[in-house]
Amino acid sequence: MSRKRITVAAAVLVLATGCGAADMTKQASPFANAQGAKTVTLSVQSWVGAQANVAVAQYLLEHELGYRVDTVQVDEVPAWDALSQGRVDAILEDWGHPEQEQRYVQDKKTIAAGGDLGVTGHIGWFVPTYFAKKHPDVTNWKNLNKYADLLRTAESGGKGQLLDGSPSYVTNDKALVKNLDLDYQVVFAGSEAAQITQMQQFAKEKKPFLSYWYTPQWLMEKVPMTEVKLPPYEEGCDADPAKVDCAYPVTPLQKYLNADFAKDGGKAAEFLRKFKWTTEDQNQVSLMIAEQKMRPEEAAKKWVDSHESVWKAWLS
Amino acid sequence: MSTTPKNTTTAAATDTVSERPPVFSVDGLWKVFGPKAARVPADPDLTALSPAELRSRTGCTAAVADVSFDVRKGEVFVVMGLSGSGKSTLVRCLTRLIEPTAGSIAIDGEDVRAMDKSRLRELRRHRAAMVFQHFGLLPHRTVLDNVAYGLEVQGLGRAERRERAAAIVAKVGLEGLEQRRPGQLSGGQRQRVGLARALAVDPEVLLFDEPFSALDPLIRRDMQEEVVRLHREEGRTMVFITHDLQEALKLGDRIALMRDGRVVQLGTPEEIVGSPADDYVREFVRDVPREQVLTVRTAMRPATSADEAGTGPAIRPEATVSEAIEAVARAGSAARVMDEGRCLGVVDASDLLSVVAGTADAPAAADGAAAAAAAGSRAAGAARVGDGGPPARAKPSVGEAPAQRRKPTTPAEPTTEEPA
Amino acid sequence: MATITAPTSQKAAPPGILTHPATRKLLALAALAAVLVPLAVTQWGGATWPSALTVDVSEPLGKASDWIIDNRDSHPLFLYFFGHVSNVVVIAVRAVYLALLAVGWAGVSAIGALVAWRVAGVRLALGTAAAFLACGLLGMWVPTMQTLALMVVAVLASVVVGALLGLAAGLSDRMDRVLRPVLDTMQVLPAFAYLLPVVLVFGIGVPAAVLATVVYAAPPMARLTSLGLRGADKEVLEAVESLGTTARQRLLTARIPLARKELLLGVNQTIMMALSMAVIASVIGAGGLGDRVYQALASVDVGAALAAGIPIVLLAVVLDRVTGAAGERLGESGRSPVTWLYALVVAAAVALAGRLAGFLDWPDGWEVDIAEPVNRAVDWMTAHLYSGVPVVGGTADWAGHFTSWVLNPLRDGLQWLPWWSVLLIVAALAWLIGTWRTALTAVLAMAAIGVLGVWDPSLDTLSQVLAAVAVTLVVGFATGIAAARSDRFERLLRPVLDVFQTMPQFVYLIPVVALFGVGRAPAVAAAVVYALPAVVRITAQGLRQVDPAALESARSLGATSGQQLRQVQLPLARPALLLAVNQGVVLVLAVVIIGGLVGGGALGYQVVFGLAQGDLATGLVAGAAIVCLGLMLDRVTQPTERRAKKGA
Repeated sequence: MSRKRITVAAAVLVLATGCGAADMTKQASPFANAQGAKTVTLSVQSWVGAQANVAVAQYLLEHELGYRVDTVQVDEVPAWDALSQGRVDAILEDWGHPEQEQRYVQDKKTIAAGGDLGVTGHIGWFVPTYFAKKHPDVTNWKNLNKYADLLRTAESGGKGQLLDGSPSYVTNDKALVKNLDLDYQVVFAGSEAAQITQMQQFAKEKKPFLSYWYTPQWLMEKVPMTEVKLPPYEEGCDADPAKVDCAYPVTPLQKYLNADFAKDGGKAAEFLRKFKWTTEDQNQVSLMIAEQKMRPEEAAKKWVDSHESVWKAWLS
Repeated sequence: MSTTPKNTTTAAATDTVSERPPVFSVDGLWKVFGPKAARVPADPDLTALSPAELRSRTGCTAAVADVSFDVRKGEVFVVMGLSGSGKSTLVRCLTRLIEPTAGSIAIDGEDVRAMDKSRLRELRRHRAAMVFQHFGLLPHRTVLDNVAYGLEVQGLGRAERRERAAAIVAKVGLEGLEQRRPGQLSGGQRQRVGLARALAVDPEVLLFDEPFSALDPLIRRDMQEEVVRLHREEGRTMVFITHDLQEALKLGDRIALMRDGRVVQLGTPEEIVGSPADDYVREFVRDVPREQVLTVRTAMRPATSADEAGTGPAIRPEATVSEAIEAVARAGSAARVMDEGRCLGVVDASDLLSVVAGTADAPAAADGAAAAAAAGSRAAGAARVGDGGPPARAKPSVGEAPAQRRKPTTPAEPTTEEPA
Repeated sequence: MATITAPTSQKAAPPGILTHPATRKLLALAALAAVLVPLAVTQWGGATWPSALTVDVSEPLGKASDWIIDNRDSHPLFLYFFGHVSNVVVIAVRAVYLALLAVGWAGVSAIGALVAWRVAGVRLALGTAAAFLACGLLGMWVPTMQTLALMVVAVLASVVVGALLGLAAGLSDRMDRVLRPVLDTMQVLPAFAYLLPVVLVFGIGVPAAVLATVVYAAPPMARLTSLGLRGADKEVLEAVESLGTTARQRLLTARIPLARKELLLGVNQTIMMALSMAVIASVIGAGGLGDRVYQALASVDVGAALAAGIPIVLLAVVLDRVTGAAGERLGESGRSPVTWLYALVVAAAVALAGRLAGFLDWPDGWEVDIAEPVNRAVDWMTAHLYSGVPVVGGTADWAGHFTSWVLNPLRDGLQWLPWWSVLLIVAALAWLIGTWRTALTAVLAMAAIGVLGVWDPSLDTLSQVLAAVAVTLVVGFATGIAAARSDRFERLLRPVLDVFQTMPQFVYLIPVVALFGVGRAPAVAAAVVYALPAVVRITAQGLRQVDPAALESARSLGATSGQQLRQVQLPLARPALLLAVNQGVVLVLAVVIIGGLVGGGALGYQVVFGLAQGDLATGLVAGAAIVCLGLMLDRVTQPTERRAKKGA
């Protein structure tokens, strides 16, 4: 709190004197710290898993530690920038952005690592389980071309459709299709919301589909999916984006804090550093939010009420 | 006789007006619109061209072409012409609302074209105020604030300008409407506001740009009366632009008739009607009730006998023909035109009738025009200055009676607005 | 006589055709093409834009972006200029936000209602209060205040900037010549296109959001200010000048007051533009309601998105009506300042009472959850309409057919056309409808797309735009005609149009996907939904404004109502219909980027990608291409009258 107070006060002072430097990378959100409460601003990414993290963290910060929490939805890469500028205090789930990490954590030291989230992320190609059961060999990429006809849509033209999601996600799919010589067309849904809606519609009709997807993801509970095996991942096989011909790696998801927040954030920073749960925990909350359409705070409350032992450790 | 009181004051004032220096003195004025306008007045080949030729040769239009006149103190100087004749441009050139192309304008001997900005503002603020055809009022201000606007511009304090404005508002008959906005007034009321705004700054000259042509006929007549009244009471110099011949004849001491940017005739109403300078003017004035404009001075002939010079009713030379007809009809014989006890001539029924019929026009003009020109205008002008004299209507019925009994004359078709 | 007339009539005929302006223009163009096309073809053949003529800007753009990020906290330009700009914005938004929170919900509602009452009357005052309370009931009080704070600052800044620009353009002819084409162009650009450059400089966050909003919302203010200053009654100005005013007096006492109507209209437009930007700006961290809509999208929660979208609609409708009513009430006799004082005291009292009673935060218990029923409705709709509907087929089938029978042939056709012939078609259309200048602008814009190296995706986007415009026009004209002919239908339609026009586009993305799947068809559907209200409105208005005398005479001749429509109303409403086409095109293009979020692909996806990945090179190039497309489409559909009217 004091940090932002001082920043704002300094800004007023600078403005009043009409000169001097103003470092906009040190400006807090104007909505922070309203009405005297200490505020933590958390970045929410556009997927529900991230919402689940934030919902639980927010609930605990507000009800156990007495903070006021603002959330801002920012895409992954811009979120790093916002974090570095202090407009966001923490990112709770990062899927690996080596370039940004190098720039902000190593070089500029404006962002501090916040440790593991405890959840392991994996990206891959998935088909619905009902389809995989009918055609077991579809789960090997070598047989995908056989099913291209079945997976055709109006949008993919003469080829099979590989449904991709939000442009903010890490994807090598275009290169993969090309390098593995697949008779498929990558169709970008443009947002996760669109992609999920489409998959649900397909599932309702029991239609086959092939989609870029990831775990942990609540939709898996709703629409069981089976992964298609791609050529195995080896260290460095995805170094050149144009020549990728292997599967996506398994990523331990990371937390990052704004460097100043990490230093002066007091209990909140301490709590966020310790925040660590499992894939199952996250999925539980995600499902409540996305499938039962509970409000994030209700879902968080429900989870918090039943998992005291887990979160007590974060507060100590 | 109704005309007698007027004539006694007239004679005394006549000479003083003619000797007064001109307020506005315009000489060789040009306003040319178009590319490289300045070359037109300078080139004698171009100045000789007709408007159509000028346009095709140079792409320029001469809205005002080589115009010269003087406006004397206390007179009502009317500039008349059909639309497009350049009269509105001319009046705007006087205070350089439109910058003239060539020629000279002087106000009280001071060169207007040489004025710098602040001097020019001074001129507009204090010496010449204008009344506009569509009023030009500020819609967001009340009547009072509109009237006070000119004073506000001069930098007068709020209380003082409001006080002065209130007095003027009362003077033009708008009491009780001070807090209205222009949008809530009728056309006539609006123009009263426009008039009041111009009067409020107490200018030396009032400029009117077709002020009443947007009003319907009855209101227009009221407003004309208002101007006559104001002129009578204050004797302020006025330059009045109109396309309405009746209005020009009614108000003007002298009239400049414009066509295609040039003045085709400049003279008293009597001269314009009695001896048109060319066919254009003749056509223009054809439907004017001549007996109400022409004086017996134009219609009279020398007495043929001592008997004629000695008997019959006496009338003043400034009496109109229609007044003479009345006198002649009542007496049943020819009337004598008497000036200070001297018999100038006689008029009988046939003389008067030939004026009415228009057949007497040529000989009368030939001998009367030159002599009557100056005297006529002075006489009429002086009558309205009315310094100490009893209030009198200079031209009792011109334009007013005809408006009631006949349709408006063709060349001067005035009505642009339907009667409400 | 006969021997003379025969040859002359023969002679007259060919020039009659030749001198027809359209033919003349086409002939000139054909001549030009005859020279240039063979040259172009021999030099750079092929259907797509020749790679020899492209310029790769992604590297310098990427470098610039890196440089900015690396120097944002050290370079003097940022420390001493942008930093202060950013600071001022943050402090201003914060001040307003804190003030709103301090006044509390009761106070804000009361003040809003009282202002509306003084400005626009009792009915709108009630509406305003109801709108604020509804925001609270929906559980959106704090986000609404955040959005309101941002809006207040953005609108004030836009009005100041716009008014200053407008003043410059209104008073100086040279400035006008420079500014007018820029402002005209800015008005046809989609809001998304403004985000990227601002983000590049300011990074994600409120300052960037406010500045993007200002850039987006200031042009209408500037245009209307200039229009108002220039459109003032000439005679009033002359009268004012004749009284010896100085230039400053003229400006302050006459020109600006005379332009009040336009100025207020400008404020109104600015508010509407800013509100529509408030949601889009959530993509770059604006927070508030837009962010709630955006977050709800992530969990595919239409109900929650709607709950956040409704306050935006309410704010928009209330602000629109109140400023509109203020404009109409201008010129009525003065309202005494005493009642203002009275209103102020009452508002202060309510705010104070609310504060004392602890009514600052919206009470939790008073919230109504609309998300669930809405979601159920959406689910039902998608479950029953998606496919397998007897006879007509489901929406998914329509989407499939539309894609394979309309969108695909259109896209493939456009991409199959040689690049020079596309330029030629654009030139011909623009020239026929406008002047050679319009044609030149349109062709240059199209060529710029090629040079930027995004020829193929641009044609893809163009095909979607054309298809969407066609659907919009067919549906829009039909609805508009119906609305013009039936008062009751129009009354029913009006609130629907209001809602659709102000509803943030994000809200209906999910239903659209649920109905039409992922791909270009839903993108087209979203565009149609967005552009339809304006087209319907303009059409209905145009038809209703047809000279009643003309209609009466047609009726007196015994024309049936169909004949009246075809022979009188439609021809006379032609300018309005042309305007509807133009607006339809511009609005459809505005949604193309949004369409990128539902699988529209092409340029829209690239912009979204650029924003999401911080890859400003891709985003900016695609954004620039959309700008060029917008320019081209606007010029091709812009009837000359519109420009002539602007000049007046």
